[in-house]
Amino acid sequence: MKLSRRTLLKSMAAASALASPATVFSPAIAQNKPLKIGVLTPRTGLAASPGISALRATEWAVEKFNAGGGIAGRKVEIVVEEETSPKDTIERFSKLVQQEQVDHVQGIVSTGVALALGPVVEESRVLTIFWDGTTQDGVEEKLPNPKYLFKSTDNECEAVMASLLAIKYWKGQFKKIAGINPDYSYGRNNQAAFIALLKRFNIEHEVVTEQWPKVGTMDLTSHVAALQAAKPDLIFSSLLFADLPVFMKQADAAGLTKSAKLVFPAAGWQHTAMKKEFTPEGMLFGHNTLYFDNPQANPIAKEFVGWYADKHKDYPNWEADRAYFSLVSYKNAVEQAAKAKGGWPAVDDIIAAMEGSSVESLGGKGGWRKDHIADQTFIQGFTTHKNKYDFVTLDKFDSMYSTDLQKPAGANFWEWIKTAPFKV
Amino acid sequence: MSAFANILLGGVFHAAVLFLVAAGLQLVFGVQKILNLACGSFYALGAYFGITFTSFAAKYGMPVWMLLPALVFAGVILGAIGPVIERLLRTVYDRDESFQLLLTFSLLLMFQDILRFIWGANPRSIDLNYLVYGKVVFSDFSVPVYNLLVIAAAIIIAAGLGLFLQRTNYGRVLRATAENRSMAEALGVDVRGVYATVFTVGTMLGTVAGALVVPTAAASLDIAVELVVEAFAVVVIGGLGSMPGALAGAVVVGLIHALSIAIYPELELLATYLIVIGVLLLRPAGLFGRPVT
Repeated sequence: MKLSRRTLLKSMAAASALASPATVFSPAIAQNKPLKIGVLTPRTGLAASPGISALRATEWAVEKFNAGGGIAGRKVEIVVEEETSPKDTIERFSKLVQQEQVDHVQGIVSTGVALALGPVVEESRVLTIFWDGTTQDGVEEKLPNPKYLFKSTDNECEAVMASLLAIKYWKGQFKKIAGINPDYSYGRNNQAAFIALLKRFNIEHEVVTEQWPKVGTMDLTSHVAALQAAKPDLIFSSLLFADLPVFMKQADAAGLTKSAKLVFPAAGWQHTAMKKEFTPEGMLFGHNTLYFDNPQANPIAKEFVGWYADKHKDYPNWEADRAYFSLVSYKNAVEQAAKAKGGWPAVDDIIAAMEGSSVESLGGKGGWRKDHIADQTFIQGFTTHKNKYDFVTLDKFDSMYSTDLQKPAGANFWEWIKTAPFKV
Repeated sequence: MSAFANILLGGVFHAAVLFLVAAGLQLVFGVQKILNLACGSFYALGAYFGITFTSFAAKYGMPVWMLLPALVFAGVILGAIGPVIERLLRTVYDRDESFQLLLTFSLLLMFQDILRFIWGANPRSIDLNYLVYGKVVFSDFSVPVYNLLVIAAAIIIAAGLGLFLQRTNYGRVLRATAENRSMAEALGVDVRGVYATVFTVGTMLGTVAGALVVPTAAASLDIAVELVVEAFAVVVIGGLGSMPGALAGAVVVGLIHALSIAIYPELELLATYLIVIGVLLLRPAGLFGRPVT
């Protein structure tokens, strides 16, 4: 077959049009395709409890969105991949982007994974929202002002809030403090933030012991004995994995739950495992951005918790809120951008709509800062046994918005903590 | 004083569990000359099976105070997997030690997937409260009676093993086989039977240890590998193949672990392995091991 110059040019034009990204097609074609959202979450292992809670919230939200016509007219499909080690999770993220050709990715619970995945997200140019974890090494931001990545509130928010509440309610009632925190940046920073805030508010204190069990250590007998020997007035702990109920059982057996005040900012990840038989009343307990039994919860949260209890015979933890918040803020941004554009928006339009936006999430008000860090509502309070469950819930509790708990864009965390206008 | 007693008992509890696993390792090495890396898997298997067994028993009316005997029973019946695995090990008895190590290491990894397949990847804990046995409280000193019972169980097992090996005919047969397998065989000892028995007892020691520790902790997929590392520290300190060595090594590792956590938690692992290095340099055969001639 002979090819004329004109035929060749036409063929090349047709081929290049076919090879172009979907966004150059007319909105009508794009809207016929389902919107694919990749989800990276741990469903097994130590972080399974938050991972599963978040996935269930995602499935619930997607079902609701699809019943109402989807997102900007496109039905939503989710493709779920496991979050494991940083290396393997990066491979699965690439699979979602390249093989599954997802439009958007959400998920990630682990700080280690988030830190490694951040630059990969920017390279992929796929709008991605991290539920949890950060891209910080310690408290130093390693990916300032990303374009495609939106990140959860700082990990230290819960420690700052718990410290402020401990000072507010227990000032003058403790001097000897002890810590038992997981031996990685999260645990180390939380303990350091607590001490820094005690100094900031001139609270006289003496650190009698600091325990750093490796994440996932299930035999904590010797750590508990060391705490017992130190005779603290107050124990600060950001244990949050399956080792938390194990610690609580042993601490109760050793009498520590009676002799010391307990400050546990991240206990909400394991809330249903914190049984009344070994978890005392009056412990300062962090539910982070979702307290499932909040009597002042909004109607959407009440509907979700009711559905969760009926379907899964369980109660959601804060990761469910992080997942819902990510999904609903993405939906709002897409729909706002689509309305402004009069068709399916490009990724840059969606990003612009996300920045500075705010939504009502399961745990209350939430929003996105210009530097792509989330702002959310946090809840912590004192435990009670007076409820219908076999685990502790909150009696009196406080709610704080993260603008009062996390450093502003570009600030140094340790310098900020020295001068921030905290509302104690 | 009470603070020191609390730390000491924490260390002894850890040592009691370590001793049971290390005793199984020593027994198998002493008689069969197999360095069994899968001993950690037996421990993990005992922990998971202990949870399932007691949950099942509680569902059918087992009183809570039966928790400890039920866990021991669960560990003992799980020892039934011993002969099956020993049958597999027969293929490497006469081969190079590296083959034996590779095979038992493969078993360790395979068991991790078997546990994942049966019980899932999430950590599991027991529903029954081990405080049912109460606590011993004296001033600031407080320890659960269950922990004391586990320590007592380990002491009884240690004494029982010692008596069995030293005072019974079958114990003498085992020791004779350990000394000289060919001679024992020539004198009519059923060496295959001896090996199967020894491996089953070794397995039981691991499974019972796992079952006993689980009420105070939780079962997770990582506990097998973590325990193997500690059990080897015990064996190096105590001396490979020596039962008194297992006891001494477990006490040293348990106490160093507890004391370093109380005094300087950052040095927990360093402290243990400094002792291991010290023993390797000054007494390579271990505290109770016999030097290789």
